[in-house]
Parts: sequence; structure tokens; C-alpha cells
Amino acid sequence: MRWPERPTGGVRPAGAPYPSRPPPPAPAPRTSLPVSQVDSAPPPEANPEVRPSGGPRIPGPGEAVVLFWRWLRRMKSALYLLGLLGVLTVIATLVPQQPNVPTTVRAWRAGTEGPGVVVSGLLDAVGAYDMYGAPIFLATLALLFTSLTACLIPRYRAWWRLLRRSRPPASGSPDHQPYVQTFGTTAPRDEVLAAARTHLRGRRWRLRDPGPDAPDQVAAERGHVLREGGSLLFHTSFYLLLIGVVVGQLVSFSGQVGIVEGQSWADTAVGYWSYSPGRLWGDDDHRAFTLTVDEFEVDWYRDPEFGGTPKVFLAHVTVTRADGSSYQDTVGGNDPLVIDGMKVHLLDWGYAPRVVVFEGGQVVHDAHVTLGATEQGLWRGAVKAPSADPDVGLNAYLYPYAPERENGPVPTGAPWADDPLLAFEQYRGDLRLDRVQNVNTLDLTGLQLENDAYVRPGEVIDLGNGVVVAFPELRRWVGLQISNRPTVPLLLLAAGLILLGLVPSLYAHRRRVWVHVRDVGDHTRVTVAGRTFQRPQAFEPEFARVVAALRDRLPPAPDPEVPATPDLTEVLRR
Amino acid sequence: MTTAELSKVLFAPTTFLLYVGAMLAYFWTMAQRIDRAPAVEGQGAAGSVHVPGRRGLWLATGLASLGLAAHLGHLVTRSMASGGRVPWGNMFEYSSVMGFGVVLAGLVIFQWRMRRPEVVGFLLLGAILTMGGALLVWSEPGPLMPILNSEWLKIHVFAIMLAATIFTVGFVFNGLYLLRETAERRVAESNQARAVGSTVGAAYSPAGTLDEDADRDSSADAVPERTTLPDAVEGVDLRGGVSDPTEELDEGAYGRALKAAIDPRRLFAGTWLATAGLSWVFWAAEGWHRESWSGLGEFVTLVNWEGFARFFTVNTVLGVAAVIAWVLLARLPAATTLDSLAYRTIAFGFPIWTFAVISGAIWAEQSWGRYWGWDPKETSAFLTWLAYAAYLHARATRGLRGRGAAKLGILAFAVLMFTYFVVNLVVTGLHSYAGL
Repeated sequence: MRWPERPTGGVRPAGAPYPSRPPPPAPAPRTSLPVSQVDSAPPPEANPEVRPSGGPRIPGPGEAVVLFWRWLRRMKSALYLLGLLGVLTVIATLVPQQPNVPTTVRAWRAGTEGPGVVVSGLLDAVGAYDMYGAPIFLATLALLFTSLTACLIPRYRAWWRLLRRSRPPASGSPDHQPYVQTFGTTAPRDEVLAAARTHLRGRRWRLRDPGPDAPDQVAAERGHVLREGGSLLFHTSFYLLLIGVVVGQLVSFSGQVGIVEGQSWADTAVGYWSYSPGRLWGDDDHRAFTLTVDEFEVDWYRDPEFGGTPKVFLAHVTVTRADGSSYQDTVGGNDPLVIDGMKVHLLDWGYAPRVVVFEGGQVVHDAHVTLGATEQGLWRGAVKAPSADPDVGLNAYLYPYAPERENGPVPTGAPWADDPLLAFEQYRGDLRLDRVQNVNTLDLTGLQLENDAYVRPGEVIDLGNGVVVAFPELRRWVGLQISNRPTVPLLLLAAGLILLGLVPSLYAHRRRVWVHVRDVGDHTRVTVAGRTFQRPQAFEPEFARVVAALRDRLPPAPDPEVPATPDLTEVLRR
Repeated sequence: MTTAELSKVLFAPTTFLLYVGAMLAYFWTMAQRIDRAPAVEGQGAAGSVHVPGRRGLWLATGLASLGLAAHLGHLVTRSMASGGRVPWGNMFEYSSVMGFGVVLAGLVIFQWRMRRPEVVGFLLLGAILTMGGALLVWSEPGPLMPILNSEWLKIHVFAIMLAATIFTVGFVFNGLYLLRETAERRVAESNQARAVGSTVGAAYSPAGTLDEDADRDSSADAVPERTTLPDAVEGVDLRGGVSDPTEELDEGAYGRALKAAIDPRRLFAGTWLATAGLSWVFWAAEGWHRESWSGLGEFVTLVNWEGFARFFTVNTVLGVAAVIAWVLLARLPAATTLDSLAYRTIAFGFPIWTFAVISGAIWAEQSWGRYWGWDPKETSAFLTWLAYAAYLHARATRGLRGRGAAKLGILAFAVLMFTYFVVNLVVTGLHSYAGL
């Protein structure tokens, strides 16, 4: 029995607090003798040991699989796996991740930042620098999904049975249910039962078929299919999410490219600065459109209070499709552009001074150099002129707003290019361009710093060693990401289903109601009993409404002083 | 006075003082109800019933409502001073709105709808702590970065704040539950020891059969066991006179027994240390990036007294909060009620958090060109989701229901705070421009 006392008082009044008394004393710990000390234990020789003693028994391989499967099926195991996944995620939050911040990872590995080389080696051993690709993370995820599968298969079967064949049980003793209300009516039993059926069916309760096993009651149940169904939908949607992510990895594509204002760029496999296609992405999947950046609009709040807070980032572009049609559009921070299914995001921008390098009277470099922002209000990049002999390499630094004062230029750190200053460090020697290297930095191995100087727009300066540099104009460049992720709608669907399943799995509640009738003298005694498995606070008003509706449908017994509870003699008679 | 100045004055000190006053009034009301007998006290003429602490409750409600009004005024003026944007664009503003939400929920849901004024004081304390945290990261009202200028700011950030507010309320209930449950269990154990000594109750063990029954029903928010009897509420004895008179316990004696079961010094120390497990961030946040850990000489410069003061204050305030809860232990709702409240609160917040994470992914796809990039903030939001999912599952797992689940709930809130403070203050990521 669930309730030690008979709740004769009926429903707890709404708003009344829950019990706040101490629970009754727990049972005393049962003291029983160990088996070996009991006289009736069999003598050792009558029950010979099946396996050799000493050491724990090692299960065979087949048995181990079964044991492991059983372990996986337990909810506790799933919780442990969730916990392990959480711990790994914490590590990944605190340790820099290779795909996100490669430079920091390099510094941690070298020991110049972070906890030092020894810890760094340990982190590397468990794959902490790329946690989401690490074997331990993927193995945990796989185990979690296996555990989910192991849990779900029997639940699907049970739910299917519930859906097909469930019928609420009859109650042997409705008076002993947690919620009981009784009232008297002059209506005959059959009329009461019919009224109860009509009312409950109208409220979409699932009814037990009337039968000879419980002729004097109506049993009804609700909420069980929806609650478990929601939970199953919620959990199943994670497979859909997983499929979306994995397939997405295979068929997606994303690449980054920087385009200087006024220049054009064509969507081909070789045109990108960085390029990360999925395995199933082919070179001819590119849409071959051409993108021209007409102007990049950028501005800041220039008052002293919010100095430096950006106000607008907007790239005005002209798109020329492969079929020759062309139109103008914009790409903004939250406003990507979609061209033939390829999404164009504005992710980065910088200054792009045109730098012309003369060496011995010959032009060895004439292009816009894309400079990237650094933290100190300084844009930096590199000029590489391998056609000179020996190679000319320039580190370029741009201070956008460095007005001239008595003691020379003063960089203000402001990002707007009101008075730009471009400084160079000249290196000579082998730039090692035969190796893979970053466009925006020099590989300083074996290079000799010759000298440095700065230049204003429109000026020309002699850097010495026969190298003359001109800075004719300053433009801007925009960093665009071009991507194609065909599984995003699937992921959105999975996310929607997760929410759709989550709500009923938390809020639907399984509850039962019994309407029991009994002839008492000249009237019928109706007992409405209820039991809820979850959310009692939601069931109580519903139960009260069911009782009130039945009362209203039936003519009341003539004597208003019908006791609310069956009296003792009646109970004893039963 | 400019709008910005008005906004600041409305926040601190106005709203702060009103909330603190309201909190003290709530606690005082609760204390009144303990000290005087809660039994019905006839007021003589006209049969009016004197409920102790009624005027205190009026005062508390009034102060809290005034505080809410001032807070609302702060939010509106701040929005105006920032150029008409929604007032949740940086960490200070999130904290402020969350405090507002906690107090609003306390007044509307828990006091007005559920008639549980005894928990509102603790919710106010939670709100004050959140807003104190907001003052630590105070920023002047200003415009937003263009990347934040999106409809998704309203949707995603509001959902996150709403869910975090609800989880804060759930944390308060879980903390109070653990305290009250420990006390109730210890009292029950000592009663049982007495009962065993007098050879009563050992043969028939209702609790044992009930436990078995509870385990069979593996549903998440199972009906709270009514092994504890309803207490006398405003003079109406709900038990209907069926109960065994030997189980009758004097209300005051029971309250004293509950308080005696917990050592306040240990409670304070435990809370202080547990909070320190997370609040070290305030101490470490300053200079974290500036200094290297490789040499001891540099490490010493990590000691900054301002950060230490914050660390110390947060721990001590939470410790004091625990001691206040101990003082008012007898007036707290029963452990089963608190457990149920915590579960219902968190179960309400969980779908909202889920939605917030999903909307964040949608915004990331639109703004950063990828739906999920394991950015520290994304990761820890996912982690928070995992932690609360674990709590909800633990509620449905035999052996973990009750204390185990509540501890997981506390842990989940710690993860939420990690997401909020550690990731904003210590770890740099894509969300960091929104940070301070």
C-alpha cells in the first residue's frame, strides 16, 4: 500500500502546504546472521565449488558483451557517461582548442604560455587540444548513443504495447486511492456509470471497456501515452541531430577569402585563402559566381564616451552569376547573402594599403596588402617580393590615426583612418616561399633586419639597399566566409522535435480516475477515486473538476447530510 | 540629472536598499511566526483571527513591490540612455534583468499564486546576490556592437536570462531542501533510535514498504510521499483525526529539534568553502592573462586585494545566507515540498534553456556562419544543459532521487555560474565582446 493512513479528508485544499511533519521512523536495520553461522547451512562437501576458488571470476567474451550491454542499459550508466562528457567539455573550455585558437595552442605547446611543457604534454596525450576530435570524446559520445539505444529499444516496445493494448486497471478498493470523494445521488447505478463514461470520454480519457470483471465501476486513464511518447520523441531526435551533424561534415563546404575593395573574386576551388570541404564535396560543386566588393562601409562612435564602439559594418557587393546575370547586394554582420545556395558571411575586415616596391629601378611588387587587426589598434601584414634579388620582405604596420606632433607621429589607437601611417621593417634574404606559409607574416628564418621607416599616403620613401617603397592609396578589404551546409534544415527539424518531445515528457502526467457506484438504501453512493503518478499539483484541480462535473450531471440525494466518507459499519460489512 | 545618472541612482542605491529592506522584512516575518505560537490566537471581539507577522508581511510585500517598480524604472531609463535598445546587451544588464525576474517570480508566482511567502525572502537574497554581481561588472549605458544588432538578441538572450533566472530560483529551493532534509532526517533518525530502544515499531516498518513502492514507480516527479502528515494549517487539522496520537509532536519542539540537528558553524564553513570552489574566479580574473604562471615571482603579482575582497564577500554572504536559512529552519516548507518546488522550477526552466541554446545556434549560423563551433560559451551552455539534464534524469533514477538529485541540481547551478562568470571573465571566445 502506498498510503499508510486512509486519506479520508479527500482532496488537499488548493494552496494548502504540503506535509511538514517528520516521516515516521524508518525500520530498524534487520540483524540477520551470516549464512555460515546459521546451523542449517549445508556442509561444504554437500555443495562443492563449481569454479576454482581464489580471485574474482573472469567472464568469457560473450558473457562480457552481455554484461556490458546490461550495464549500458542502466540509467545510471547513461548518467555517468553524461558526466564524463561534461568533464571532457570542461577541459575543452579551459584548454585552448586547436581549431579555434591555433596560436594560443602553439604557445601552450612551446611552454611560453599556459601551465608549462610537462602539463602540456599530458594534455596532448589525451587530445585535450582538439577535444571534439579526440578519440576519448568520440568514444564517450558513441557509448552514450549506444546506451541510449539500449535504453530506447525496450521502451519503444513497451510504448507500442501501451498504444495498442493498454486499458486502465480496475481498482479493487477505490476508497483506498490517494484521492477520494464520495457523494450520493438518486440516479440509478447504470445512469451514473453512463454519465461518468460520457463525461470522461468527452475529456479524452481512455476508458476501460465495461465488463463482468468490474461491473460497478468506470476506470479511466490519461497522459501515459503522451508522456512516454514525448520522452521517446525527445531522445530519438538526438539520432536525427547526430545524422545531421555527421552527414553535414561529409557534404558541407566552407572557405574563407579576403577581397580588397574594387576587386573581384570568383568562386572556384583554388580561389580561397583557406578551404575546408567535406569528403563528399567536389570541386565542381562550386557555383562559379563572381563577387566584386564595391565598397566596404565601416564607422564608429567617435565621441569620447563610447569611443571606438563600432557603428556599422556593411559590404556593398556586385554579384555576377555563372549565367552572366548580375545584381548588387549587401553583406552585413547579421545579414548573410545567399548566392545559389552558397551563404556569404562577413566575418572580418582590415585595411589594404597599395604598396609599390621598386628595387634597382624595377617594380618588384605592386598590390594591395591585406593587413589584419591586432589588439593594440594596429593593423599588420607582410609584403613579399621574391622577384628582387635577394628577396625583399617587408613587415608592414598601419596606424590608422597617427597625427604628426612636435616629437613625430603619435599613434592614437583609434581605428578610423583619418591620418594613417604605414611603417615598414625591411628584411632581405630567402623568403622561403617554396614552403607553405601564412600570407600575412614573414618566415623570419635566416632573414636579416636591414632597417625600418614609415610613410604617409601618397609618399615615397627610400628604405636603403636600393629599395624604394611607395604608398599611393589606402583601401579596405573584407573577410568573407562562403559556405554551403545542406543539412542545416535537418538540424533545425531535429532541434524542433527535441523541443516538441521535451515539453510533454515533462508536463504530461499519467493519472487514473475510477468512478465506483454502490446502492445504499434508496440512493446510489458514488465514489470518485483518483491516483496520479506525476504532478499532483496539476491533478488536484482536475480531479476536483471531474467530481464537480459528475455531481452537476446527477440529481443529488435528498438528504444533504450524506457523510463525506463511508461510515465504519459499512466498511465492516464489506 | 541625465537619464543615465537617473538610471544608476535607481539601481544603486534605490532598488538595492528596497530589496534588502524587503528581504529583512520577510525574514523578520518568518521569525515572528516561529517565536509566537503559530496556533490560532483569538483576538477577542468579532472573532478576527490574529496571524502573527501579518503586518510584517505587508511591509515586506510593499518594499519588494517598490523595489520592483524602481528596478523597472532603472531598466526603462537605461534602455533610453542606451539609445532605445533592449536593456540586455552586456553582463551588467543581464545580471540586473535576472535579479528583476527573480523578484518578480517570487512575488507573483510564489507569494501570490502559490501562497508561499516564506520562500520569497530567500529569492530576494538570490536576486540581491545576482545584482551585487552585476555591480562588480558595472558598465555605462551605451550602444551595441553591430553584430549584436539583431532580432535574435531579443530572443536568444532573453531566453537565456529567463532560464537562468528560473534556475537561480531552483538553486535556492535545492539548497533549502538539502538543509531541511538533513535536519529532518537527523531528527527522524534520533526519534527512531529512541523508538528502537523502546521496542516500538521495529516489527512493522511502514517506511520500508513505502520505499519499495517508491522505487517501483520510476517516474520523474513522483507524488511526494505523504508519510509526513499535513500539519495544522490555520487551525484546520487536515489529518481528520485518524493519526496515531503518539506521533503528535509539539510544533515548537520539532522546530527546535530541527535546528539542533544542524551545527551552524559547520554549515557556514561548508557553504563558504563550497562557494569558494567557484568564486576564486573573482580573485583570479584580474591579471589572469597579464601574468605568467611559470615563475613564482610573477605568480605573487596575482594577489590583488580587490579581487580577494570580492571572493571573500561572495563566500561570506552565501555562508551568512545559509545561516539565516538555519535560523528560519522551522518555518521553511517541508523537505518534500522544497524538493517538489525545486523539481518543478527546474523542469520549467529546462525547455527554455534548450530553446535558448537552439536559438543561439540559429543566430550563430546567421551571424558567424556556423551553427556550432565549440566556442567556450557555446560549450559551457551545452555543459549547463547536460548538467540540468542529468538532474532531471537523476530525479527518475532510483537511488539518486532526493539528496543525490538535489546535489546534482546544486552542481548544475555551479555549472551555470561557471558559464556565466568564468567564461565571461577568464576564457576568451567569440562571446567575449558581449562580456563586460
